[in-house]
Amino acid sequence: MAFFEQHIHDEPKTFLSKYVFSFDHKVIGKQFLWYGIAFLGIGGMMALLIRWTLAFPGEPFPVIGQFLFPHTNGVVPPDTYAMLFTLHGTIMIFYAITPILIGAFGNFCIPLMIGARDMVFPTLNMLSFWLAFVSAILLLASLFTPLGGAAGGWVSYPTLSTLIGSPGIGQTLWCLALFVLGVSSTMGAVNYIATIITLRAPGMGYFDMPLTIWGLWLTAILNAIFLPVLGAGLLLLTFDRVFGTTFFLAGAAATSGSGDPVLFQHVFWIFGHPEVYILILPAWGIVSDLLSFFARKPAFGAKATALAMTSITILSTLVYGHHMYTTQMSPLLTQSFMMLTMTISIPSSVFFANWLGTIWKGSIRFQTPMLFSLGVVFVFGLGGLTGLYLATVSTDLYLHDTYFVVGHFHYTMAASVLLGGFAATYFWFPKMFGRMMNETIGKIHFWITMLGLNGVFMGMMVVGWAGMHRRIYNPFVYEFLQKLIPINTFITVSAITMGAAQLFFVYNFIYSMVKGPKAEQNPWGVGTLEWTIPSPAPHYNFAEIPVVKCGPHELGNPNLKGDRDFQYQTEELVECNS
Amino acid sequence: MNLYSLYMKFFVMSANASEMSLWERMKPPVDISTNGHLIDSLFILTTKLILFFFILVCIGLFGFSWLYRHKKHPKPLYTHGTSKKHVAIVAAIGALVFIVIDMQITGISNRDYMEVYNNWPKESEDIVRVEVLGQQWAWNFRYAGKDGIFNTEDDIVTLNDLRLPIGKKIVFQVSAKDVIHSFSLPNTRQKIDAMPGRIHKMWVELTKPGVYEVVCAQICGTFHYRMKATMTVYTQEDFNKWQDEMQQRTSFAMEKESADLYWGWKWIANN
Repeated sequence: MAFFEQHIHDEPKTFLSKYVFSFDHKVIGKQFLWYGIAFLGIGGMMALLIRWTLAFPGEPFPVIGQFLFPHTNGVVPPDTYAMLFTLHGTIMIFYAITPILIGAFGNFCIPLMIGARDMVFPTLNMLSFWLAFVSAILLLASLFTPLGGAAGGWVSYPTLSTLIGSPGIGQTLWCLALFVLGVSSTMGAVNYIATIITLRAPGMGYFDMPLTIWGLWLTAILNAIFLPVLGAGLLLLTFDRVFGTTFFLAGAAATSGSGDPVLFQHVFWIFGHPEVYILILPAWGIVSDLLSFFARKPAFGAKATALAMTSITILSTLVYGHHMYTTQMSPLLTQSFMMLTMTISIPSSVFFANWLGTIWKGSIRFQTPMLFSLGVVFVFGLGGLTGLYLATVSTDLYLHDTYFVVGHFHYTMAASVLLGGFAATYFWFPKMFGRMMNETIGKIHFWITMLGLNGVFMGMMVVGWAGMHRRIYNPFVYEFLQKLIPINTFITVSAITMGAAQLFFVYNFIYSMVKGPKAEQNPWGVGTLEWTIPSPAPHYNFAEIPVVKCGPHELGNPNLKGDRDFQYQTEELVECNS
Repeated sequence: MNLYSLYMKFFVMSANASEMSLWERMKPPVDISTNGHLIDSLFILTTKLILFFFILVCIGLFGFSWLYRHKKHPKPLYTHGTSKKHVAIVAAIGALVFIVIDMQITGISNRDYMEVYNNWPKESEDIVRVEVLGQQWAWNFRYAGKDGIFNTEDDIVTLNDLRLPIGKKIVFQVSAKDVIHSFSLPNTRQKIDAMPGRIHKMWVELTKPGVYEVVCAQICGTFHYRMKATMTVYTQEDFNKWQDEMQQRTSFAMEKESADLYWGWKWIANN
């Protein structure tokens, strides 16, 4: 694709055009970051309410319980509990992780790391954020409707999510909110894809892009293809709810012709499985880069990592049936999905080997972003490997819909992505705000988070194997689960620990933004393009569009002259004969 | 009440209830079926295999972090990992994981699935047939009765009360009235979704008499957590006795007009 250069626009002057309706990808990225962090707080609070109920059923939630549930004296009621786990899932996936990893760092990093002045469609970019904002209002509004918000689980399977199971307007608003968010994300995705294809700086081939950009690019492709599938499903569900169609109704409730509830599950998981990779791909990319930057050596097999991520992207579209083993598909389909799912472990082990290869014989500096990246390798190792139990159909017959599944997907989607997001925040904070975050508080944040996180998700897998199923308000009405009370209490204490650790982050984030030490242009000593410009980045990014002459991971070359151990991407590669 | 005292209250309460070790608590419910051990053993095998690989990852992660920390190893090795040797090692690791873990567990799982769980008992065999209907928030069970035909006057119909014999193959046909439920018997390690408009099936063979629990595993509304039925497992003699007793009662209980009682369907033959 031919290269073209964007013009430098005048700096916006008014408050509105500078901070609110901004076309600048960096400002939009920050808007997404605030949006994501706010929802992370809400979703996290919901998680604590859920955990409290599971550990101490019938006990009032401390402090804020009295205000939230005055009718029950502070105890979470069962209908609210269903709403809580539904919205916890929805919020964390669509309103916290997606905005932080894809919205914030996608927007912020893509133009800076490929040497562009902005996204290729700045207006679309702005629209993408404000549609996400509208979607958030729709979702939050659903909480204040007469029967409360959606309560059918984040997968919202009909017929529970049709008028039979959830008569209130909350579920309809939920569908609309996600539909609007889908439109917003599709806009963002199209923009990312086009930007990466057309606006790479001259000289930058696809394999000269940092792996962060690879991850974001593949994510954007999956987003653009599969979010419309979810949109279609939600629209049909809305029709069933509002206009009396029966796409997903069957049985006694389908009074005017009959559809099939399984249809929705197919549509949902055709989207839903790629969605898992939509969330994790940016984190993989970021981790692949940061491991190299902080080990001070080139990323091991960077091309293989990029290709492995690409093949996972393709495979992820072919395996969704493993979410539906208990719906009695044809055995041939079940077997095929099992086999295809297994093949994902090949590319996964390839980039795991490459990650370990990257830190092998490096010169590792354990700054906060590096700690979080190493944390991702650890928790994703656990999360990925435990997926094997769920991929084999016979063990899934037992483990399906138990807490084992919950523990597994939290390891992959919550733990890994969250740690990846923190790594990115600590790493790019200087370029975003021109100040450094505090290292000591960052390290405390890391270690307490790791401790709490493993306690929570490991504990979930343990109770899952012991038979505790998902989404139950009070597990202990079952006799065979009563022995699990102490383990559940332990999980809840771990969750509170993990939640408390985030206070360190919030303090560090806000304090550093205002009072942190001023950041240099290149505090980490890294050669990618965003570090060739001042911190914080000026509104036009690059006064001169850079010309790229080498890869993103040129660190530790022994033939380098001078006091730098790395090369900028704008420099001719120093030959090394080893 | 502060957190600590609350923790102590629940912990002490549950700890006193039975002096159970953590290991005991982590165990799945007792296996009462002829095939549950297949799933348990595959789980254990998978655990051993993934532990092996996870320990390798940890050795790499912690070992390299320790050996190659900046202070001890200031000069990094300049390599892009693109030499033939490096590529071969990475490819070998990928292949190793696939062959050692994936092929093995997929093979076992596929065998169990096709030869056991999906290998339906013949209709000519002496099997117990049960129709299961999930509704918000209860399980309805239906036995064909003396005539062996469902939806007739001599059917035995129960609510949240499943009674089964040991030593015979039991085939369930499962459906739902309103929303999706999931008919789960943790003690046999099996579950199947109950869906409106569809009839799914599942078969088990039990080995241990006793009283167990039937779980709804799929979220089905506010009182999902209370959708629990009792499964009483009898010896064959006791089961026959119970059936005879129920049979005598049914002729009084079955009112022709009651839709609640006539919810069954014609049994769908397995083969």
